[in-house]
Amino acid sequence: MTDDSTRKRLAEFIRELSGADDVTITRLERMSGGAVQQNWAVDARVTNGEYAGEHEWVLRMDAPASVAESLTRQEEFRVLQAMHEAKVLAPVPLWLCTDTGVTGRSFFLMERLPGIAAGHKVARDPRLVSDRSRIARELAANLARIHDVKPPQPALPFLSTSLARDNIAHYRAYLDTLQESYPVLEWGLRWCERHRPEREETTFIHRDYRTGNYLVSDGRIAGILDWEFAAFGNPFEDIGWLFAKCWRFGQHEYDVGGVADAADFIQEYEMLTGRTLDAATLRYWQIMAHVRWAVIALQQRERHRSGIEPSLELALTGHLISDLELEILTLTADGAATTPATEDDTVR
Amino acid sequence: MNNLPLGSDLLNVARETLLSELRPILDERGRYTLAMVANAMSIAAREVEAGEAPALSALARLDKLHKHEERELHGVELAIALSSYERQVAADIRAGRYDIDTARQRALLEHLRTTVRTKLEISNPKSLSPPKT
Repeated sequence: MTDDSTRKRLAEFIRELSGADDVTITRLERMSGGAVQQNWAVDARVTNGEYAGEHEWVLRMDAPASVAESLTRQEEFRVLQAMHEAKVLAPVPLWLCTDTGVTGRSFFLMERLPGIAAGHKVARDPRLVSDRSRIARELAANLARIHDVKPPQPALPFLSTSLARDNIAHYRAYLDTLQESYPVLEWGLRWCERHRPEREETTFIHRDYRTGNYLVSDGRIAGILDWEFAAFGNPFEDIGWLFAKCWRFGQHEYDVGGVADAADFIQEYEMLTGRTLDAATLRYWQIMAHVRWAVIALQQRERHRSGIEPSLELALTGHLISDLELEILTLTADGAATTPATEDDTVR
Repeated sequence: MNNLPLGSDLLNVARETLLSELRPILDERGRYTLAMVANAMSIAAREVEAGEAPALSALARLDKLHKHEERELHGVELAIALSSYERQVAADIRAGRYDIDTARQRALLEHLRTTVRTKLEISNPKSLSPPKT
């Protein structure tokens, strides 16, 4: 990727699509994060044309081992375009390249936004989030715009639709592939089935809208990242995920991703969308969120156990499951009381 | 008969050595990896120390829940009996056979709570201590 010929091909690709006379790549470096996708920081000097000047971009490319359920780069590029049109704060997508002759894999370029995304930093460093109520309102405003995108979307024909009952069927189908049984997850799923909403609205949903997947810069949200799990579904699923205890990075006094108060978020979201987010709905989708994270944790654990991808980090996700199970049992109990703190990553 | 100290003791002392001697000379990325290694070693040590006790108590609870007379099983037989019970409980829950709030449902939930707590004692005992105030 960093060899001279790749650099040249990449510069030529950008030159052609940007209508420039010349493009020089001044930096090409792998960025941290992104187990599924690889992100590269690309700095470039563009001579003439619409993009003349110095630029800081991100090149996002498929990793060698792709996850079956995530979008391809081409699909994610279309999603970013749709979000840009919907005025969601997200990196502006620039050019898509499906010709594997340039870097070896499909990729796209997008603008590089400032800020820090790492969940444990955003949730635990109070200097990053100085005005919690502002962060809550900005998270709500962006989610409201995301949920304003409704099917059908002719530009996004690849998006699947998954409402509560589809989620339940999907998670059960996965559990059935495992040798061991998971009675607590079955209990959570049965509870979700019995308390399923009678009517559900279907909107575009992010499906990984949480602390860790948005950039914070100067105490403000700079952009929403990681769109590879986008789908059509129940908008409240995104809120249950954002509020879920497993995504608070240990900061349990703040319901919204360990960074802000629920009331600030809910008030803004309700005001902007006209939807009503009652306590029962919030609880329902938090339970669903914990079941979903447990299923994903099992999938990650199996990637290690099957020998496909031996990894300590993946192995340890298998030991996160009982924290999620405890939360499922607590939330499904009537008159749910507070539970002990849970840790959320593989480092304790 | 193996030599002493026991495996769990070795894991604990090896972990302490990593943390006291290696951690100070590592960079941020290395410390993150070391924290995962140390965590894996504590889990393994606690699992070795607990031995068959969690499985034995789970079997006793499940026998009671299913009105089965108490048995004494060990090793592979214990594992087989437990996994067959877990499969049955999972299927019964999914089929709605524990839907109604009865003594049986309460007994099931009590069993599930105890099972999760027992697993947390090995996987993440911090979750069982009261939240920090």
